Amino acid sequence: MLSHLVVGAGLYFGDSIFYVVCFLLLMWIVKVLAWKPVTKMMQDRADKISNDIDSAESSRNEAADLVQKRQTALASSRSEAQTIVNDAKTNGQQQREQIVTQAQTDAQTLKQNAQKDIEQERQDALVNARNDVADLSIEIASKIIQRELKADDQKALIDSYIEGLGKQHES
Amino acid sequence: MNDGPVSTFQFLGLTFSTANIVSATVVFLLVVALVYFTSRHLAMKPTKGQNFLEWLIDFTNGILKGSIPTKEIGGFGLYGFTLFIFLFLSNELGLFINLSLPNGATIVRSPTSDPITTLTFSLMTLMLAQFAGVSKLGYKTHFGNYMKPFKVWIVISIFEEFTNFLTLGLRIFGVIFSGEMLLGIIWKLAVSHGIATMIVAVPLEMAWQGFSAFLGAIQAFVFVTLSSVYISQKLEVEE
Repeated sequence: MLSHLVVGAGLYFGDSIFYVVCFLLLMWIVKVLAWKPVTKMMQDRADKISNDIDSAESSRNEAADLVQKRQTALASSRSEAQTIVNDAKTNGQQQREQIVTQAQTDAQTLKQNAQKDIEQERQDALVNARNDVADLSIEIASKIIQRELKADDQKALIDSYIEGLGKQHES
Repeated sequence: MNDGPVSTFQFLGLTFSTANIVSATVVFLLVVALVYFTSRHLAMKPTKGQNFLEWLIDFTNGILKGSIPTKEIGGFGLYGFTLFIFLFLSNELGLFINLSLPNGATIVRSPTSDPITTLTFSLMTLMLAQFAGVSKLGYKTHFGNYMKPFKVWIVISIFEEFTNFLTLGLRIFGVIFSGEMLLGIIWKLAVSHGIATMIVAVPLEMAWQGFSAFLGAIQAFVFVTLSSVYISQKLEVEE
């Protein structure tokens, strides 16, 4: 019909319509079969990659934070250890001084006690000696003069005599 | 090639060429098979077929991005992709399959070696460009563009549309048609004097076939490139 009107009757206009219909149908099929799923997949992949990059960035930051924390913890534990060692040293020093002082005091006390004891012993010995000498003198005197004297009067007499001796010695 | 007798038939008062209908159907089925078999088992990590398909999509999108701003590509991506694989397979089909009826009329050849096919696609592109221009800019601005820089320019603008339509369609037709014609001539030479001409002509035929395959790819690329250029021209307001 159309071909009678057109000069180029060699051109088949039916073909033209067929091609247009064919192409539109093909576009629809391509869209459903491949275009939509593939472009969606490509978009998904692009999103995933950018997400992965982001998460890698955040993991890196997290790791850096952890390293920072660990280093801080390490430094603090080191200083803590230092403090403990110092404390122990100070304590030891103090204890040592205390023990030494204690020992010195004890030694002093012991020495003083010993001196006191020795003094006491000496005094006692002196007193005993004095008594013995008194008794002896009384016995001797009673034998010599054969006269009973009262022990106490005799002792006073001896004491005065010995004092007289001591005075002679000092002079 | 239209040099032999041509088989035609009438349907609804329109004349159809059997060769075009059959070839187009063959290409149609090839494209469907191509996208069907390469788009099975889509995965985040692409495998063989998917890789190829994604590469093809990237390639045609790359052609479009050359002239259309990325944010306006939208549906043109699908158009460019389908157009490219359809034209590419059309260009290559006749190089490898050329069937004739017993009376000498060809029934399978490159659909693009007939001007009606290429001019149809050319017209389709320009109609799409008009449609895109109107839908983006509105009737007033779109047709106002024809009268810039001054009103008399409308004659040149309309003439330009017409030449765009012809050059876009006839360029690809010329290359593919001449390629197939030369193939036919070389083949006639090859069978003309038995073995002697066969030895000379067969390597020549193979070389020309390879070159035509290359030209077919180039022409499909050029067609899509020019389509995107014509579309992008309608998407912007002329100063």
